[in-house]
Amino acid sequence: MVPMPHYLILSALLFAIGAAGVILSRNLLIMFMSIEVMLNAANLAIITFSRFLNVMDGHVFVFLVMAIAAAEAAVGLAMIITIFRNRGTIDADKFNLMKW
Amino acid sequence: MELAIFYISAIVAAGGALMMILQRNPVASVLYLILSLVALAVLFVQLSALFVGSLLIIVYAGAILVLFLFVIMLLNLRGEKFTSEKPILDKGTKITLVVLFFMELVILIKQMAFPQRMDSLMTQASPDFGGVEPVATLLYTKYLYPFELTSILLLVAIVGAVIMAKRDKNEEEGER
Amino acid sequence: MTDQNWSILIPEIFLFIWALFIFGLDLGIKRKNPKILGYSAMAGLTITGILLAIFNGGILFKGMFQSDQLAIFFKVIFIGSAFMAVGSSFDIASEKIRHHRGEYYGLILFSTVGMMFLSSASELITLYIGMELTTIPLYVLAAFYKDDKLSVEAGLKYLIVGAFSSAILLYGLSLLYGLTGTTDIVTMKINLSLVFLSYGKIGPGLILAMIMVIAGIGFKLALVPFHMWAPDVYQGAPTPITAFLSVGSKAAGVVAFARIFVNGLIAFASDVMKPLDWGIIVAILAAAAMILGNITALRQRNIKRMLAYSSIAQIGYVMVGMVAASELGIASVGYYMFIYLFANMGAFTIATIFNDKTGSDGIISYSGLSKTSPIFAAYMSIFLLSLAGIPPLGGFAAKYLVFAAGIQAGYTWLVIVALLTSVVSLYYYANIIKTMYFSAEEPTIKIHPSFPANLVLLISVIGIILFGIFPGPILDWALESAKIFAF
Repeated sequence: MVPMPHYLILSALLFAIGAAGVILSRNLLIMFMSIEVMLNAANLAIITFSRFLNVMDGHVFVFLVMAIAAAEAAVGLAMIITIFRNRGTIDADKFNLMKW
Repeated sequence: MELAIFYISAIVAAGGALMMILQRNPVASVLYLILSLVALAVLFVQLSALFVGSLLIIVYAGAILVLFLFVIMLLNLRGEKFTSEKPILDKGTKITLVVLFFMELVILIKQMAFPQRMDSLMTQASPDFGGVEPVATLLYTKYLYPFELTSILLLVAIVGAVIMAKRDKNEEEGER
Repeated sequence: MTDQNWSILIPEIFLFIWALFIFGLDLGIKRKNPKILGYSAMAGLTITGILLAIFNGGILFKGMFQSDQLAIFFKVIFIGSAFMAVGSSFDIASEKIRHHRGEYYGLILFSTVGMMFLSSASELITLYIGMELTTIPLYVLAAFYKDDKLSVEAGLKYLIVGAFSSAILLYGLSLLYGLTGTTDIVTMKINLSLVFLSYGKIGPGLILAMIMVIAGIGFKLALVPFHMWAPDVYQGAPTPITAFLSVGSKAAGVVAFARIFVNGLIAFASDVMKPLDWGIIVAILAAAAMILGNITALRQRNIKRMLAYSSIAQIGYVMVGMVAASELGIASVGYYMFIYLFANMGAFTIATIFNDKTGSDGIISYSGLSKTSPIFAAYMSIFLLSLAGIPPLGGFAAKYLVFAAGIQAGYTWLVIVALLTSVVSLYYYANIIKTMYFSAEEPTIKIHPSFPANLVLLISVIGIILFGIFPGPILDWALESAKIFAF
């Protein structure tokens, strides 16, 4: 039997890796993939809680989060295509016409 | 045995995610992310979330990440060079910050108090816990309303993605 | 299921169908007459408002959809901001957005639908989906000038920050779910008290959850330190969308914040609960927002960036009412948002019209406006003075109420910070007025806004003056709406 904190610590680790990816990476695509990792870290936490509370509400939550992630990814990738056409690059550091 | 499965999957999931952000080639990144998600799906199944675990592979690995691959191929991004200017915070500081953040998360999670003191071991789940039928029943009864909201969201995303990705015709053609 | 009153969903469903209708209409008229689209969007929003007045009050889906007074109050703000955003879009719709006019208006309506669902959500899953439904159309709208580098960059920055913050919010919500074993906010409140009573403590896990939820919603609100995206996005996005972002999207964040914290976690809003007291965390953030927003706004040369920093500061004032977590506090937040709707939408509408005419957003190009377009300059002065909080305009009453709520709740230091920073804010608001009225330069620009833009400006001015002198009706309504939380 695996104790619950194991799962939660893994989820925290994945969340931290995802956050690191968004902050450190310069490639927009990798930034997006890191956001997917963060969402999945939250999914893992929800599934863990759901299992240990012995209720299935969390599964529905994760199901819907996946749909939302798909929607976000679709819009995000379309936006990446647009900006690539516009600028010819997906280097996040190049998008500094306005200062951050 | 279960602990062994957990550790193997956990290492693969975390390692895959780590490799993903360290890759320069986006195609390799996508493949590492798929690896990480498959390991995550194993953990989901271990937590008796059979339906959601299989969805993770079908929807994420099968659809969303293929979309990423598709965009990479479309834009032909394989060997893109990235600027090497000095950012405001150097990498070391950023990594230290992230590690600190992770440590804080772990410490706080360790001390979390949960209802019914469930922080020790999991109870035996009923055989159909997390199966397709009980999840679907919940989805179509108790959670019908958020489910329908999601359908609106997907419609909006389709409209938005089409507008963004569509190449507009020239001015004169557009007016016709 | 039979005794349920399904009719309370009618306003949302109507607006959703109307947005689809506008997509169809765009195809039907073959882009010949773009004004029809704008007018029909405005008509749809008006009808939704009327429907909202008829069909309200009730609970559906076991409390997942609550059509209570708070929801209605904020829905009126959302519809109002969408109405004004559409009204000020007529000029850019005929010029800059040639290709996707129907989608432009349709997405504004979709985002409004999302806000309406969000304000009715009293359950975490619905709340999260409502949040996404609000922001996903806004990502696209911010990048709507696809050929304009600034606009696409704004859309991209908004998208990355928005997706990042929604992941943080989701992690926070998942921890809340784990701690309480439920996604329903009212049950959550009960379960938390049960845990607290049984064990005498909850542990730091709740702090983590609260910080993550504050961060997630803070990004949407552009609350300091989660504000760094706002000036860039506000500058680059089409100006009516900037206005919609700064009013509608912020009001949505405010209502989500109120639902989670003031309803679900109300028990932790007092000094006794340290270190679980979220009030003090939010109070510090609000103070930071007021100081940083107002001081940075001082040295802005671009009117959209200046208004962006001013709206960062304004959300700090709103949060003063929120941390009070009392009936007066929530009522003052509602009233503040209502006045802010008129003042900020009005100011951004003028920025839109001005940009259309001159192609410039620089504050310096407003010099001498009072000589050529006196009415226009007077309008702008009224909006800015209301934002600064000068009596007898609406902004004064709003600030007064917020400060009163803050003092009542014991946050005297916060109110002192707020008072000092409002004095600072007067400087940069007055600076624009000075530029418009007392500049030596010879003005060349004369401005004729289109009819819908004029209507928007007129509504805003009347709203500010009327509700500033007679705050009674709106305040009573806001107090009524605050009663849904059990304090």
